[in-house]
Amino acid sequence: MNLFLSTLILFISTILLVFFLKKNKILIQWKNRKNDKRRIKIEDALKYLYNCEYNKLTCSLNSIAGSLSITSNEAANLIKILEEMGMIATAGESFILTAEGKRYALRVIRTHRLWEKYLADETSISETDWHSLAEIKEHKITSEEAENLSAQIGNPLFDPHGDPIPTAEGIIPRRKGIPLTQLEKGDFGKIVHLEDEPSAIYQQLVAEGLYIGQQVKLIDKNNERLHFEANNESCFLAPSFAKNVTVEMLPDLSLVKKSFKRLSDLKLGEKGVVVGISKACRGKQRRRLLDLGLVPGSVVKAEIKSVGGDPTGFNIRGALIAIRKKQSDQIFIKNESE
Amino acid sequence: MKNRENILNKANELRWEIGESLHDNLLESIYKFATEISSRVIAVDVSKKSKSFDSKLDQILTSSKFGFPIMFLLLALVFWLTIEGANIPSSLLSSFLIDSIYPQLKTFSSNIGLPFWVDGILIDGCYLAMAWVIAVMLPPMAIFFPLFTLLEDFGYLPRVAFNMDFLFKRAGAHGKQALTMAMGFGCNAAAVISTRIIDSPRERLIAIITNNFSLCNGRWPMQILIATIFIGALAPSHLAGLFSAAAVVGITLLGILLALLVSWSLSKTILKGEASAFSLELPPYRPPRILKTLYTSLIDRTIFVLWRAVVFAVPAGAMIWLVSNITFEGLSIAEWFINWANPFGLLIGLNGVILLAYIIAIPANEIVLPTILMLTVLVAGTPEIGAGSGVMFELDSAAATANVLSLGEWSLLTGVSIMLFSLMHNPCSTTIYTIYKETGSVKWTFVAAVLPLLIGFVFCFFLAQIWRLFG
Amino acid sequence: MNLNRLTHAGNQCENCPAHNIPNLKKLGINMDKVDQVIALAGNPNTGKSTVFNNLTGLKQHTGNWPGKTVTRAEGTFEYNTKRFKIVDLPGTYSLLSTSTDEEIARDFILFGQPDVTVIVADSTRLERNLNLTLQVLEITDRAILCLNLMDEAARHRISIDTKQLSKELGIPVIEAEARQKKGMNELLQSIDEIISGRYKCKPFRMNKLSPQIEHSLKQLEVLIKKEFPNMPNSRWVALRLLEGDQKIIDSIRSGEIGLIHSYNQNDLSNNIYEKNTV
Ligand SMILES: Nc1nc2c(ncn2[C@@H]2O[C@H](COP(=O)(O)OP(=O)(O)OP(=O)(O)O)[C@@H](O)[C@H]2O)c(=O)[nH]1
Ligand SMILES: [Mg+2]
Repeated sequence: MNLFLSTLILFISTILLVFFLKKNKILIQWKNRKNDKRRIKIEDALKYLYNCEYNKLTCSLNSIAGSLSITSNEAANLIKILEEMGMIATAGESFILTAEGKRYALRVIRTHRLWEKYLADETSISETDWHSLAEIKEHKITSEEAENLSAQIGNPLFDPHGDPIPTAEGIIPRRKGIPLTQLEKGDFGKIVHLEDEPSAIYQQLVAEGLYIGQQVKLIDKNNERLHFEANNESCFLAPSFAKNVTVEMLPDLSLVKKSFKRLSDLKLGEKGVVVGISKACRGKQRRRLLDLGLVPGSVVKAEIKSVGGDPTGFNIRGALIAIRKKQSDQIFIKNESE
Repeated sequence: MKNRENILNKANELRWEIGESLHDNLLESIYKFATEISSRVIAVDVSKKSKSFDSKLDQILTSSKFGFPIMFLLLALVFWLTIEGANIPSSLLSSFLIDSIYPQLKTFSSNIGLPFWVDGILIDGCYLAMAWVIAVMLPPMAIFFPLFTLLEDFGYLPRVAFNMDFLFKRAGAHGKQALTMAMGFGCNAAAVISTRIIDSPRERLIAIITNNFSLCNGRWPMQILIATIFIGALAPSHLAGLFSAAAVVGITLLGILLALLVSWSLSKTILKGEASAFSLELPPYRPPRILKTLYTSLIDRTIFVLWRAVVFAVPAGAMIWLVSNITFEGLSIAEWFINWANPFGLLIGLNGVILLAYIIAIPANEIVLPTILMLTVLVAGTPEIGAGSGVMFELDSAAATANVLSLGEWSLLTGVSIMLFSLMHNPCSTTIYTIYKETGSVKWTFVAAVLPLLIGFVFCFFLAQIWRLFG
Repeated sequence: MNLNRLTHAGNQCENCPAHNIPNLKKLGINMDKVDQVIALAGNPNTGKSTVFNNLTGLKQHTGNWPGKTVTRAEGTFEYNTKRFKIVDLPGTYSLLSTSTDEEIARDFILFGQPDVTVIVADSTRLERNLNLTLQVLEITDRAILCLNLMDEAARHRISIDTKQLSKELGIPVIEAEARQKKGMNELLQSIDEIISGRYKCKPFRMNKLSPQIEHSLKQLEVLIKKEFPNMPNSRWVALRLLEGDQKIIDSIRSGEIGLIHSYNQNDLSNNIYEKNTV
C-alpha cells in the first residue's frame, strides 16, 4: 500500500514537473517570438533606409510603411523606437541613418547577401527563391555565424545579383554602372546588376534569361519597350522592367562577340574552342570546370554520349571528361577556324 | 599585429578593385604556361593506333544499344563465375574444418577434461563460428574480389557511372554516386568515406544514406549461397548456376533501383533540391596486370575482409553459445526470443532465428549466415547436432547448409525474403559509426540507419502477404 | 593482344634490379624517429598510391578511376640509413579551389612542410598535369616531378623530353612505371640528392599573370615581405589573399604562416612539421 502510494506521488510530481518546465519554456519561446518580430521589423526598416540612401532617394513615413507593409501608425511607432535607439535622426520630412544605424543596416545586408551567395553557389535551390530565403535568414544568424559562412564560401565580394557585399567592418564600394534604359541605340553593355526587388519584376528578368556578366546590345527603344539582343537572342522589356537592370557600358566593341555556340551544340566528333563560361555558372561548379581545363583557348571535342544521351564525354586537353548538358549549356565556344 | 591587419585590409581593398574574375584569369594564365612548356617537350606520333582502339571501345560500352546489356552481362558473368567456382573449394573447406578438425577438437577437450561450458563457448561457439565464416565466405570472396578488381583496374567503373548518370540526375542525385555505390559493393563503410568525391553537401548526404543498398562484402556470400540453395534448386541442375547468378544480379539491380528511388524521394522531401553540376574524368583504359591483380586482391582484400569477419565471428560465436545454453524456466534465452519474435518474423516472410541473427550480427554483416546456421543447429537442432555431429558434415557445403536450413523449416519464401532483407536492413555498426563521423549529425545517422530497415520490413511484409495469398 | 604482352613483360620484371632496390627498407606504418617527410601530390588517378605502396610496402587501395584516395595516408621507409615518412595525398586537379580533398592536399604541402614534394604526373596527359605542377611549384621550392605511366605513354606513342622539361621547371624529372616498380630507385636517389643539398631546385614561378593581377600582387607582396621576411612563397600567399582564402587569412592573423621558411636558408624543417600538423 505504502509502496503503491509513494510510487503514485512520485509519478504525479514528475508529470507536473515536466509540464511546468515545458510550459515555462513555451512561455519564454513565445516572448522571444514577439521580441523577434519587433527586431525583424527594426532590421527591415534600417535596411530600407540604407537602400534609400545608397540609391540617393528620400524616404518618408509612408514609403517606410509601404515597403514593410505596415500601417503608417505602426511605422511612426517604429520610427520612434529607432530614434530612441539612436539609429536614425530626423531631417525635416525625411530620415537619415546615424553611424550606428548604418553599421547595423550593413550588417543585416551583409548577412542577406552572403546567404544569397551561399544559396547560389553551394545549393541547387532555384534562383527565384534566393532572395526570399535570404530575407528570412538575415534575421536569424548571429554575426559570428555570418563570418563563418563567409569563410566557408571563400569570402565573396559580390552577391549573385552583382551587389557588393559589405565587409564585416561595414565598408562597401559605390556602385558602378547605369540602368539599361540609359543605353542608346547600338550601344553595347555588360549586365552588372539585376535588382531583386520587387520579385515579380526580378522573376521576369530571370525568365528572359538575363544574368550578370551577359553582354547586351540595344537595338531599339521607345516609351513602351526596349528591344535588345542578349546572346544573339532578341529580348523585349518594358522600361519599368529594364530600369531594374544595371549595365556597364562597353566601349571596346572588339570585346563583344555577337553570338556564341555552346559546348552542348557540338555533335559527336566535332571540335570547338572555348571562349568562356557563362556567369550563371558559379562557385564551386565554375572553379571545377576551370580546373578541368575549360579555359578560353582550350580545344574541346565531343567524343561519346552516355546511354541515356545526357552526359557527354568531351576530350579536354587530353582527358575525357563527362559533363551534363546543364553545364555544357553554360560554356561558350567558337569554331576552331575563327 | 597591426601590420598583419594592414595586410588583410589591403588585400580586401585590392579585391574590390579586381572584382570576381581573378580565378578565371589565373587559371587561364596557368594553362597558358602549361601549354607553352608542354609544346616544347612533348612529341606525339600521330599515326597512333591504340588510341582509336580506346575510343572505339568507349563508343560500344556507352552506346544506347549495348551499354546496359553489356553491363548486365558483365555483372552476371562475375556472379556466375563466383557461384560455379566457389562450390567445390567451399565444400572442401567445410569438410576439413568441420568434418575433421571439429570432432578432433571435441575429443581433445573431453580428454583433457575441460568443463562443459569452456568447451561449449570455445569449440561449439567460437571455433564453429569461425569455421563457418571461413568455409562460407572465403571461396566466393577469393573469386569475386579479383574479378571486380580487374574490372576496376581496366577502367570500366567510371563508364558505368557515366552511363547511369541520367538516372541519377533524374533522381536529383550526383552522377558520382554510382562510383560510391560501386565502392559499396566492396564495403559500405569505405564507400561512405569515398562520398567525399561529391562536392555538393545535399547530394553527398543522399549518397551516404542510400549507400547501404549496395550489397557489401559481408552480404555477397550469403546472397550467393541462398540463391544457390533456393533458386538454383528450381532449375535443372546444369542451369542451376545460371539461375542463381540471375537471382543475385536481380537483387543487385533491385538495390540500385531502390537507391535511385530513395534518392528521388529524399530530394523531393527532406533533402529538397535539383541535381547540381557533375563532371567526371573518364580515365583511359589501362590493360590490367592479371596475375598481379589476382594475387594482390586475394592477399590484401580477401584476407583483410576475412580477418575482420573472423574477429567479429569469434565473440559472436561465444555469445550464440551462451544465449542458446543459458536457460530460464526451461528454455534458453535464444528460444525465448525466437518464440517471441517468430510471429513477427513470419509476418515478413522470415522467422525468429533470422531476426535474432540480425541482432547478434549488427557489428558485422559477415556473420549473419553463420549465426543463423549455428542458432538453427543449437536451438532447433536434433540432439546429435547439438552434441556436435550430424547434418553439417556432409560433403557438399551448399547441401549441408540446405540441410540445416530445412531443419529450421525454411521455405522458398524464407529464402527470397532473407535475400531481400539482407539487401534492406540497417548498415553494420562500423558503417553507422563512419556515417556519424562523416556527417557529424545524429539525425542523419539515425535516418541512414533506420530508413533501410523500415523499407525492408514493409517490402518483406507485402511480399509475404502476396506470396501466401497466391502460393 | 596488347594485354598479354604487358602481363608478360611485367612477369619478366620480377627479376629485374628495380624490383629489389638496394638500400631500401620498407617499414610500413612504423613511425619511430623519422628524419624526413615526403609528400606525394598529383592529379587524380596518376599512380600516387601505387608509388606509395612500392616504397612503404603498405597496401593502399588503388584503382583506375579518379578519387580512389580521399584521405591522406602515411607510411615510412628507410633509404640510405635515413628514415622517411611519406604521405599519400588525395589526387586534385588544382590547389586553388575549396573542396575538402584539395584542402587536405594544399594544407599538407603548405603547412605540413614536407622536405620534398613528389608530384606524380600522368605522362599521357602531361599538359593538364602541369596545371597542378605549376601550382605546387608556387608553394614549395623542393619538388620532384615523377612522370608515371611511361608504359602507357609509349603505348600511345607519346614521347617526352625529360631533360628539357627538367630545365624548364627547375626540378628533377624522373620517368617511372610505378605498377611495374620501375623508376623507384631513381626517384629515391633524386629525393636523396635534394635533401642532401646536392641538387638545388630553382622552381619555375609564373611571373607574368595579367597586368591587373600583377599590380595588386606586387603591392600586397611588399607588405607581406615586410611582416614575414623569411617567407619563401610570399607571392603565392598574396595570391591566396586576393582569392579570400580563409585558412591563409587566419594564419596571417595568428602569425603561424611566418613559421614557414625557405629550405635554402636553413634546414630545421622537421620541428616545424611537428608543430603544425598532428
Ligand atoms: N599501366 C600502368 N598503370 C599504372 C601505373 N601506375 C599505376 N597504374 C595504375 O593506375 C591506376 C591508378 O593508380 P592509383 O595509385 O590508384 O592512383 P592515385 O594517383 O593514387 O589515384 P587517386 O587516389 O584517385 O588520386 C591503378 O589501376 C594502377 O594500377 C603504371 O606505371 N603503368
Ligand atoms: Mg590514391
